[in-house]
Amino acid sequence: MSKVALELCINGERHEVLTEPHRTLLDVLRVDLGLTGTKENCLEAECGVCTVLLDGRAVNSCIVLAVQCRGRQVLTIEGVAENGALHPIQQAFIDHGAVQCGYCIPGMILSAKAFLEERPGATEAEVREMLAGNLCRCTGYQKIADAVVAAGRAVAAGR
Amino acid sequence: MSFQYHEPVSLAEAVDLGARFGADGRFLAGGTDLIIQMRRGKVAPRHVLSLHRVPGLDAIELNGSVRLGALVTHRAIERCASFQGRLRALVEGAEVVGGHQIRNVGTVGGNIVNASPAADVVPVLLALDAAVTCVGADGERTLTLEEFLLEPGRTARRPGELLTAVRFAVPQGRTATAFLKAGRRRAMEISVVCVAARLTLDATGERCVEARIALGAVAPTTWRAREAERLLEGRPLTPEAMREAGRAAAAGCRPIGDVRASARYRRLLVETLVPRALARCRKRVE
Repeated sequence: MSKVALELCINGERHEVLTEPHRTLLDVLRVDLGLTGTKENCLEAECGVCTVLLDGRAVNSCIVLAVQCRGRQVLTIEGVAENGALHPIQQAFIDHGAVQCGYCIPGMILSAKAFLEERPGATEAEVREMLAGNLCRCTGYQKIADAVVAAGRAVAAGR
Repeated sequence: MSFQYHEPVSLAEAVDLGARFGADGRFLAGGTDLIIQMRRGKVAPRHVLSLHRVPGLDAIELNGSVRLGALVTHRAIERCASFQGRLRALVEGAEVVGGHQIRNVGTVGGNIVNASPAADVVPVLLALDAAVTCVGADGERTLTLEEFLLEPGRTARRPGELLTAVRFAVPQGRTATAFLKAGRRRAMEISVVCVAARLTLDATGERCVEARIALGAVAPTTWRAREAERLLEGRPLTPEAMREAGRAAAAGCRPIGDVRASARYRRLLVETLVPRALARCRKRVE
């Protein structure tokens, strides 16, 4: 099958990619561009480890075709810290000990980022509801929820 | 997965490509079903027609009736302020679909065309007497949602035809809607049973003028419990009348037993959830 030339904007940088139309954004991020911070697991949009932001909204990159991303903004975990400084959500995950094996964390942080930009003062119940699309098999979620709530307060205070 | 990718930029171009490729082509909306089915090898279209650059398909229009473009996402339904009153069930159906990543991309048109009997928004649309518009090489046609849904995974859509919108009248007067879902857990779950109800009461608030009860995951398609509706219409809306409607719906549905629940349990859920949804409508009217 013939390849398609694509220009993708990832973490604010332009990338030229030549790829088959069936390949997903997840494939292109990890294999073609070496951005392996975005994880791969279920490939059925169930687990959320591949979550990235597409034009600011959280999506499962395993069910988005790379060709659909032409002209759109993609944010991956590699682009969350700015100028070497961790994002308040990343710092909150560290401060709360919210990371165990770590595999789900990039997706968690991107889901949380999109969510907190809309609702910085979110309650724990709202945060837990939001995290439904991101599975973690280590932590039991308590420290993750705590970290996101705290980060939300920090984001709200910083405004 | 191996296909040619197309990105029509107008409705006319999308319809033209749909007609040209017919059964060899598939329209791609949110991808939450299609991409997964392609990866599993269940469908292998030679042409994929992404709709995301077709203008207007993601619009919600309100003027006496509601028109949801096929690409309106579950998230857009959740966030639409106009749906918080008599159309509350629409929000309740949309907000329990998948996680937020799915609701950000999954569309109402895809939900209808996928024709899962367990779809959550579809029973609400059925309870609203919704109609769908399809456009193909032979022009535009409108079908009721009920006649559009044929069996699991199958609709009356012709090969290459594009579902462009779903419409319904805005309920008026002493009317309310409600949606309830039973699953094995609260999030990221396919419905074991779901119920959408719409009730209109008379001026006294005692008598039921019109009733709609639509059920998911208890028949080969989303299913209207007409017998239960008939038991309610024109009669006082007593607790016993609502329970009777629940029993009629449970007796009339045709659930399967599967990994999520036995057929018997599904009937028990119907018998419980129907009167509960009706009671919720009643409370909302007041």
